[in-house]
Amino acid sequence: MLIIPAIDLKDGSCVRLKQGVMENATVFSEDPIAMAKHWLKQGARRLHLVDLNGAFAGKPVNDAAIRGIVNALEGKIPVQLGGGVRDLDTIERYFDDGVSYVIIGTAAVKNPGFLRDACDAFPGQIIVGLDAKDGKVAVEGWSKLTGHDVIDLAKKFEDYGIEAVIYTDIGRDGMLTGVNLDATLTLAQALHIPVIASGGITDQEDVRKLCALEAEGIMGAITGRAIYEGTLNFAEAQALADQWGGVV
Amino acid sequence: MVNIAVVDYGMGNLRSVAKALEHVAPGGKIVVTSDPEVVARAQRVVFPGVGAMGDCIQELDQRGLRQAVIEAAASKPFLGICVGMQALFEFGEEGNVDGLGVLRGRVRRFPAEAMMDGQGEKLKVPHIGWNEVHPVLSHPLWRDIPPGARFYFVHSYYVEPAVPEMVAAFTHYPFAFASAVARDNLFAVQFHPEKSQTAGLTLLGNFVQWDGAVGE
Repeated sequence: MLIIPAIDLKDGSCVRLKQGVMENATVFSEDPIAMAKHWLKQGARRLHLVDLNGAFAGKPVNDAAIRGIVNALEGKIPVQLGGGVRDLDTIERYFDDGVSYVIIGTAAVKNPGFLRDACDAFPGQIIVGLDAKDGKVAVEGWSKLTGHDVIDLAKKFEDYGIEAVIYTDIGRDGMLTGVNLDATLTLAQALHIPVIASGGITDQEDVRKLCALEAEGIMGAITGRAIYEGTLNFAEAQALADQWGGVV
Repeated sequence: MVNIAVVDYGMGNLRSVAKALEHVAPGGKIVVTSDPEVVARAQRVVFPGVGAMGDCIQELDQRGLRQAVIEAAASKPFLGICVGMQALFEFGEEGNVDGLGVLRGRVRRFPAEAMMDGQGEKLKVPHIGWNEVHPVLSHPLWRDIPPGARFYFVHSYYVEPAVPEMVAAFTHYPFAFASAVARDNLFAVQFHPEKSQTAGLTLLGNFVQWDGAVGE
């Protein structure tokens, strides 16, 4: 399983939110490029970037910082990026900049046709981010719960040819309260594509529990607050994930 | 009615494999089982698996499944997945374990020294993610799957068949390894068709219709 460090960008800084609330941001670094290099050095195999301002604005805001990070990584590891992706031109620009995967969240829920077009134009490079609470999908930085069942929606999207689904349990994200394993597993088992777990990862025990589910299609786990606050040592976590999950 | 036994020997939850088979064989009878009798009676057998090869063999033996799996692999449409593929071979390098010996060859770990891509970047083990599968022989299970179709992989070991003729597909990571093998009624893949969306479901769909003959 891939342990994927998250760099969430707000006003050019690397921050973490609690449960998606902008005002609850903790700034962990004002130098996200140095942070990206740090995770690379710690053995990260993929980075998860989020343009938080972009997510709220509906268009790229921290794109300069994102370009800086991608350039600093020199193609050594892939970057997946989300936040504010609402049209094909934006996606194309990010791929031109060297981003490997673009994550579509709210726009996929509100406009599945856009997601379908994106998958047709960039096969194998589109990831869908679904944020959910009690099985229902939330949009717009979690401010709105929709009536969409997360599994039904994910099943619809997988037919479009997405690379993976990032499943975030918004009751857990940034709370360091442990992963919602049941919901993640249920989703993974219902899909024929890999799932990346996100939200609530606190410590090695969470990594161990997720690794036990790797065979059901859990490809990775995004971690943010835990590696910034130090309840999880990133390098150790990836080593353990390789040991626990990757013995095949 | 399609009757498929998914061999359950305690190595990983097999729900995803069973669900994918249900998807491609609607109305078919899919049984997740650790009963050798059920495996023996099934029309087709899927042999998945996760974890270390040595543990797999041990768990198989504890459930008395070894003979049923070997016989199924010799007699009816049989699909090995991941460690289910590896366990069919004679020998696993790591831990010096004997496999089932259904296929000639060995199972090796990706060698650290060879893991450099074209740009001189170190590739990581395990190999996790989507990668291209390039069929090298014509086979009913490849029907409607274009060369270079992408499948989902999670593994640190790969098979090295003693007989090159059994290689059904190659994948590069970074060198070419056998990502699928075939012999008579047996087909086995290193990747996870149950997690490989269209290409994977097509392969599973081909399997549930396959009569076990190699000709098109």
